Amino acid sequence: MVVLECIDISKSFGALMAVEMVSFSLNQSEILGMIGPNGAGKTTLFNCLIGVYKPDTGQVRFKGHEVAGMRPHKICRLGMAKTSQIMEPFRAMTVFENVLVGALHGGQLNMAEAKRETANVLELVGLADHSDKSSTSISVPARRRLELARALVTGSDVLLLDENMAGLNPHEIDEALELLRKIRNSGKSLIVVEHIMRAVMGISDRIIVLNYGSKIAEGAPGEIANDEQVVEAYLGCRLS
Amino acid sequence: MNRDKSMRRFWILFIIASVAVSLFPLVTTSEYYLRLAAIMLLWIGMAGCWNLMSGYTGYIDFGPVVYYGLGSYATAILMTKYAVSFFPSVIVAGVVAALIALPIGIPTLRLKGSYFAIATFAFAETMKQVALEFDRAFGVTFFEGSHGITLPLSGQSNLFFFYCVFVVTLAVVLLHYHIEHSKFGYGLKAIHEAEHAAEIAGVNTTGMKLRAYVTSAFFLGLLGGIEAYWITYITPEDVFNVHKTVQMVIMTLLGGMGTFLGPIVGASFLTLLQEWLGTTFVEDYMILVGAIIIVIILIAPRGIVGTIKEWKGIRFI
Amino acid sequence: MDTVLLQAIINGLLLGGVYAAYSAGFSLIFGVMGVVNLAHGELIMLGAFTSYWMFAYFNMDPYLTTPFAMGFLFVFGYLMQKYIINRVIEQPHIMSYILTFGIHLMVANLALKFWTHDFRSITTSYSGLNAAFWGLHVPYSRLITFCLALFIIAALWFFLARTETGRAIRATSMDKEVARLMGVNIREIYAITFGIGAAITGLAGASISPFVIIYPEMGLDYTIIAFCVVVLGGMGYMPGALWGGLILGVAQSLTATYLSAGISVAITFLILFFMLIFRPTGIVGKGLEN
Repeated sequence: MVVLECIDISKSFGALMAVEMVSFSLNQSEILGMIGPNGAGKTTLFNCLIGVYKPDTGQVRFKGHEVAGMRPHKICRLGMAKTSQIMEPFRAMTVFENVLVGALHGGQLNMAEAKRETANVLELVGLADHSDKSSTSISVPARRRLELARALVTGSDVLLLDENMAGLNPHEIDEALELLRKIRNSGKSLIVVEHIMRAVMGISDRIIVLNYGSKIAEGAPGEIANDEQVVEAYLGCRLS
Repeated sequence: MNRDKSMRRFWILFIIASVAVSLFPLVTTSEYYLRLAAIMLLWIGMAGCWNLMSGYTGYIDFGPVVYYGLGSYATAILMTKYAVSFFPSVIVAGVVAALIALPIGIPTLRLKGSYFAIATFAFAETMKQVALEFDRAFGVTFFEGSHGITLPLSGQSNLFFFYCVFVVTLAVVLLHYHIEHSKFGYGLKAIHEAEHAAEIAGVNTTGMKLRAYVTSAFFLGLLGGIEAYWITYITPEDVFNVHKTVQMVIMTLLGGMGTFLGPIVGASFLTLLQEWLGTTFVEDYMILVGAIIIVIILIAPRGIVGTIKEWKGIRFI
Repeated sequence: MDTVLLQAIINGLLLGGVYAAYSAGFSLIFGVMGVVNLAHGELIMLGAFTSYWMFAYFNMDPYLTTPFAMGFLFVFGYLMQKYIINRVIEQPHIMSYILTFGIHLMVANLALKFWTHDFRSITTSYSGLNAAFWGLHVPYSRLITFCLALFIIAALWFFLARTETGRAIRATSMDKEVARLMGVNIREIYAITFGIGAAITGLAGASISPFVIIYPEMGLDYTIIAFCVVVLGGMGYMPGALWGGLILGVAQSLTATYLSAGISVAITFLILFFMLIFRPTGIVGKGLEN
């Protein structure tokens, strides 16, 4: 069953065409990997989905709504949330409070419910012990999990994860992958942007590949790894 | 548990302090001290209004005096031209200020940083000019231009105005308490910290900012109306004066932006300082204010209360 | 053409040229460092007072005092940036403009304390003299100042485009990090930029001293005008200061002539307010988004 459908999304900034006629769909409880060289347009595409940018063309169909151009907080309340590549915690707040904001506003819960839900999510991502710490005093992997928790607690069914594993060592990556599987198994659908190949290949059910703003390949991880165009995009030449 | 206990203790102390303040007029026989206390309460209220908006959201408003001034004029015009009595006039003053704040806030709050500051300042100065030039430009008698408006003599004592101001200021302070513990407050603080991330996490940033801006305007309008009746004579230069904005800013900055006690601490301290320096040393006061601003920004940008909060890890003051 | 209209336009252009001159420094400082200098008017005030005191004590012609005003304000601006503003330069912009606001209060009120509220003016042998032609009156002093204003703007442009330091300044404003990697000492460049901005502003202040009323609180009004000029022309966009100044000058002059002086003040604020709301990048759209 399709939960999110993207049709012919384009976005340009002046003369730069960041995203060009990209279409794809996301299925229920699927982990869709999105890869591509730096500057391929992945973050821009995410921003179009989440309402930060209004796409120049195309449609985004989510839960029976046309959400392209809707304001981000409305899209979040509808059920789609995103983590950012460049993390932006609410610096003066504790870990708990950071997530609480998401529960109160994105999740539209009252204070008591929001606090309960926040505690639950922190438990799930393994940050329960850090609840009262300042959000700036925790380690990088913990901060990544904080971003994830803040998106998760909004009750969103679709999560867009933009390089949520950047800066993690191999052991931490494995833990992160485990967490993502747990989240997917609870019924969420994920789009994962990553540069760490073994992570993306290992966790994705399907992968789409962007290059220079266009989708150049789509398929199972095994197919993508052998796709000529993908290899060329990354290595800049054909392997003969 | 510890947190809840200390919060309860704090709340009890606060209730005691509020009751004590409300009983102050009954224990003092000096009109001078009564008046001083009333002025201090007025500034706590004004600084509190600025804190509600700018302290919590981080959008530095350089034009809050405009809503105070609009409240003053609304009250003055209603009482002199339409023979409305005091209390309804003040309420209308607050409503008028809020109603004007809405269409102004919507476009202005889209601006960031210093652009927002200058735009709000520009609006305030424009209103001052309107009050000065409107009558002459349109050939009517409404604002009375630079002649000013003389309100009916109140025949009321400092006691009366003490309680008027006390009620409004108490409301502003209680609103602070609500903000420190509510969804609204978390939304405002999130906007201050990372507006972009807040929006993505589901915070209706435009709605929240507007709510804070209009609420602040409402209470400033009330205070403007009360003071107009108190001092009996208003002119555009007085009630739209940028000095009032400066006071609100420095009091909150010194006390601690975005804190519950900040405006109370800052306003009390600076009212007393100004009183001590008297009317002969106005420049000295302003020089000190300028110096305090510089020192605070360089050394303790969170203000007195904010810095204490950080040291001691207390969350709700 | 109607003489009244022509006179109003001429007045406006003369006024506008001066506006452009003392707003260029404001635009430069913002363009390079992102600092909105709310103490800008005080730089003009200090320039004007430098002229006044040199005129009062040494009987120097105000135009001859301009190099002194420049030198003094350069040092003042350089030190202010280096030791005070630089300390918050890496923090959010809100810190720097509250800081400059505090500086505005201190400087204006210190001046008030030492020099009193008295309004002062400079009267020279040519003070009241006009160039009269076609039924128009153009005061000589305003004409000289206008030419000086154009010279200031041209000199600034030349400095930024052709000198080593100027290039370093432009590089810093375009990409701070890369400039740093190229070996530019950013903090030093900031201090120099502020010094230069202050110097040309002080120069402008000195050059208007022959025909304005000089008093310690004069600064704030000038800061507002500078703000309006650069918002019109585009924040951080140098040529914009000239257009913005001329447009504002003519707009003010026309409203003052046909409506009232008070309304021309209101016009300034209205223009500022609406430009910020609807077109913050300036009329030509080349200004910086905050």
